[in-house]
Amino acid sequence: MLSISNLHVRAGDRQILNGLSLEVGAGEVHAIMGPNGSGKSTLAQVLAGREGYEVTEGSVSYRGKDLLALPPEERAREGVFLAFQYPVEIPGVNNVYLLKAGLNAVRKHRGEPEVDAFEFLALIREKMKLMQMDESFLSRGVNEGFSGGEKKRNEILQMSVLEPSLAMLDETDSGLDIDALRVVADGVNSLRNPERAIVLVTHYQRLLDYIEPDRVHVLSGGRILKSGDKSLALELEKRGYDWVKQEAAAA
Amino acid sequence: MSAATAGTLSPKLERYRELFEKRFASDALIEHRRDAFNQFIQAGFPTPRDEAWKYTNLRRLESRDFAVAESAPVGIDPGQHPWISCTANRLVFINGHWSPALSSMMPQPPGATVLSLGEWLKHEPERAQAYLSNSPSAQTVFERLNAAFAEDGVVIDLAADAMFDEPVHVVHLWTAGLQSSMSHPRIIVRAGRNSRLTLIEQYLGLGDSALGCSEVFTNSVVGVELQNGAQMEHYRLQQEGSRTFHIGQISVRAQEHARYAIHDLAFGGLLSRLNLTIQLQGSGSHAELKGLFTPDNSQHIDTQTRIEHIAPHTTSEEDYRGIAEGRGRGVFNGKVFVHQGAQKTDARQSSRNLLLSPTAEIDTKPELEIYANDVKCSHGATTGQLDTTALFYLRSRGISENDARTMLIQAFAQSIVSSIRSPEVRGYVETLLKGRFSLRQVNP
Ligand SMILES: Nc1ncnc2c1ncn2[C@@H]1O[C@H](COP(=O)(O)OP(=O)(O)OP(=O)(O)O)[C@@H](O)[C@H]1O
Ligand SMILES: [Mg+2]
Repeated sequence: MLSISNLHVRAGDRQILNGLSLEVGAGEVHAIMGPNGSGKSTLAQVLAGREGYEVTEGSVSYRGKDLLALPPEERAREGVFLAFQYPVEIPGVNNVYLLKAGLNAVRKHRGEPEVDAFEFLALIREKMKLMQMDESFLSRGVNEGFSGGEKKRNEILQMSVLEPSLAMLDETDSGLDIDALRVVADGVNSLRNPERAIVLVTHYQRLLDYIEPDRVHVLSGGRILKSGDKSLALELEKRGYDWVKQEAAAA
Repeated sequence: MSAATAGTLSPKLERYRELFEKRFASDALIEHRRDAFNQFIQAGFPTPRDEAWKYTNLRRLESRDFAVAESAPVGIDPGQHPWISCTANRLVFINGHWSPALSSMMPQPPGATVLSLGEWLKHEPERAQAYLSNSPSAQTVFERLNAAFAEDGVVIDLAADAMFDEPVHVVHLWTAGLQSSMSHPRIIVRAGRNSRLTLIEQYLGLGDSALGCSEVFTNSVVGVELQNGAQMEHYRLQQEGSRTFHIGQISVRAQEHARYAIHDLAFGGLLSRLNLTIQLQGSGSHAELKGLFTPDNSQHIDTQTRIEHIAPHTTSEEDYRGIAEGRGRGVFNGKVFVHQGAQKTDARQSSRNLLLSPTAEIDTKPELEIYANDVKCSHGATTGQLDTTALFYLRSRGISENDARTMLIQAFAQSIVSSIRSPEVRGYVETLLKGRFSLRQVNP
């Protein structure tokens, strides 16, 4: 589904990604872990189409398409979704309005008719229940005044409405209390199916107890240093990242 | 004095004199008019050397030869009229002249009077003049010009406890294909104790294409007297054509516990300037100002507000937003003046501005002058561009760049628009803004 090869990314004078390669197949869940500042969010943002980053080398193909050639909205309509590490507050743009506009954009792209008001309301109600969000969040501005955890839940709500093929979650677990972590994990798991791929960026093994990954990668210094199965996450939790770096340096 | 200055007049002012003499030589109020006119002549048009006109150059306005506007026949399909619908008390002025045919009035409730100033001046010039003289004024040059040339307008008088069931809607409409003309409309409000009023002031131009739209000059003056406990909700929509010079003056005097709220929405005109002066003279009086101005292309929109806290326990709240595009230029100067003795004043002011193109400009200047020691005053001003992170966030949800921009621009205007209490006005403004900011070419 997603194939990243030798990706080099620069922002201003700073080289952030240095030859990163990664293959994610349909139906798979991948976890990316790594020290602060190693380039995890940069990777996620570049894949979602954020401007301000320069791809100096390498390529990304998504379902056979050159992903980097598409504007962000086209990527979203093609099924790419990013749950932001820092969801953006947009006062004056209604939360439910954004959900509906996003859903209709995706449907239009697929050649489907716009969702009708009743259908949409029923859908939203169901998803909000799953996310254990109060309906009052619908009428508020996008993330406006939401607590840290509420913002993260709102990201997953958007995800579950848009039903992406490739979902990238950038530290969605950070700042969640234990119950909320469970809710978010349920939200993600409910999306899991053989046609979808999920990439989780996280610092904590705990999330992976709930959403079991097929592969775990260590991103450090702008490249993947080590990949393994879920036991790698447990090992990282115990031992930190230094040994991975040393191993890579020795190789 | 007139004889002495006559010889030294600039050709432009000389032309105003000719127009004036020709029009009003036999007017019943010629003496009053001539006083005002001479004061106008003496002061002349303001120049950028006047602090209050630093950012707004009137050279172009001054150089034009405007005739005194005449009414013209206008065919308006009742279903297609350009003004806000659903107002039962509507006074329409065509090129500054009251049009009974286009106006409509409900029976007036007890103690509530609304009439055309032009009619009153015709029938009872002296009484009308006395009434005019008592109306609040800021004594500006343009008010003098207005006092010299004013021929029509609206008088609204409310006795104690009186109120209209519906808003009073005043429409000033320029017709297309005129020769260069000027109009000096006047609105006078006197609201007695505990009376209530909603006033909608709307300035429009027909045929806003380079050819159809005439070069015209609107010089409007509004005076509002609010007696104890009176409440007024005021909406002002300036949507004139792209070749219009628009100068407006609003002067408000509020007595004890009176409340004045205005939405000042300036979208049109080539050069537009509004002076809004509010005197909180009675303790417990309150003013609420919300403004939105949107200069585009080569429009210039200047707003100067001055709130004077004169009595103790007076409060004011001011929130102005500007959105500039193209080569549009906005100016906002908000002055809050707290007089000595106006203790317990609470004044808040905010000015936020959005620049949508690199060639757009907004100058904002909040000013506080405080001569009392026990007061709460705050002000803040920001000017910025569309938030690129928010833009990306919306696009990452599948929304096109153009739609995302429109959503963010409308969101910026939202705090002003959503506070419009009249549903008819709010709906009208929302539609207007949607048309204005959607489906446009994305600026590079
Ligand atoms: N637009 C930018 N301009 C300059 N430097 C940037 C930019 N974006 C990211 N960086 C830098 O690149 C590095 C990687 O940032 P990134 O946000 O991708 O890290 P991360 O792995 O997500 O870290 P964390 O775990 O703290 O979220 C950091 O040092 C960051 O300061
Ligand atoms: Mg990060």
